[in-house]
Amino acid sequence: MMHTQDFHRLLIERNTFFCFSGPLSETALSAISDAVKNRVFEASDKRSLATKIFAVFIEQAQNIIRYSAESIAADDENESMGIGTVAISASQTGFVIEAVNPIRPGIIPKLERNLIQLKAMSGDELKVAYTERLKSGPPEGSKGAGLGFIQMARKCDRFNFEFAKEDEGSTLFIFKVEIDK
Amino acid sequence: MIFTLERTKRTPSVELSENRLVVRGECYPENIAEFSEPIIGNVRDVLDKTEVFEVIFELLYFNSSSAMFLFDLFNMLDDAAGGGCDIAVRWRYEADDDSMEEAGADFEDAFEHASYVLEPRDEL
Repeated sequence: MMHTQDFHRLLIERNTFFCFSGPLSETALSAISDAVKNRVFEASDKRSLATKIFAVFIEQAQNIIRYSAESIAADDENESMGIGTVAISASQTGFVIEAVNPIRPGIIPKLERNLIQLKAMSGDELKVAYTERLKSGPPEGSKGAGLGFIQMARKCDRFNFEFAKEDEGSTLFIFKVEIDK
Repeated sequence: MIFTLERTKRTPSVELSENRLVVRGECYPENIAEFSEPIIGNVRDVLDKTEVFEVIFELLYFNSSSAMFLFDLFNMLDDAAGGGCDIAVRWRYEADDDSMEEAGADFEDAFEHASYVLEPRDEL
């Protein structure tokens, strides 16, 4: 296990000012969202920047709750819970909001196609994709509006994703969103 | 008042009277269906009876699941306007928040019959 001191240094060195790792539910998100919001508003001098960072954080957290391949039973059986990590860090150009969660292999090809498409779109094309999705309603298999990735793509300056194979055979979905100052 | 909801950390205040709907705060409910269904139902009932209806939205933030609810609500308002009801919708945002200005502009497509204006404000 990494020494506590090294773990502390690691977070400081990468300028990670918020990190949550473990089982995430809507109840847990309610408990941490105010702290995140306050921290984000302190860290960014413009309101529109803070709103964007917070918006991306919420979409990332809700994706973990809804789509993580790993979960543990929640106290309330109606509540979904997913295991993952979400972090916010300062970077040279602005802010980075990262999310990691185990993903079911079956949904990877479709998600990958979808994200490659979004990555290639201009701001105007993303706006069209967003309003089209509003009109057509949630796609099959979506537990939200199917708008989360489009919204994140619109609010950020760049994003990257990766499907990383773990030694024991599972796959991690990594989604990294950057917002410039 | 016909229907009201208190503002919470994750949901806006809602005030619905015979001629007016005012929604203020942040909108990223734990359960969007639970939050939105009573609002949609009550607004539909009011629109059946009224001839003039004013709507004010002052949202500081909403998540992508709430966007679908807003779009559905706005479509319902526009349908009522198409049926002869005089409907004016105002989307108010803080003047320094272009993120919420853009979010308001995204809904312009929902309106064909009702009046819909974006209003910058100094402080919400």
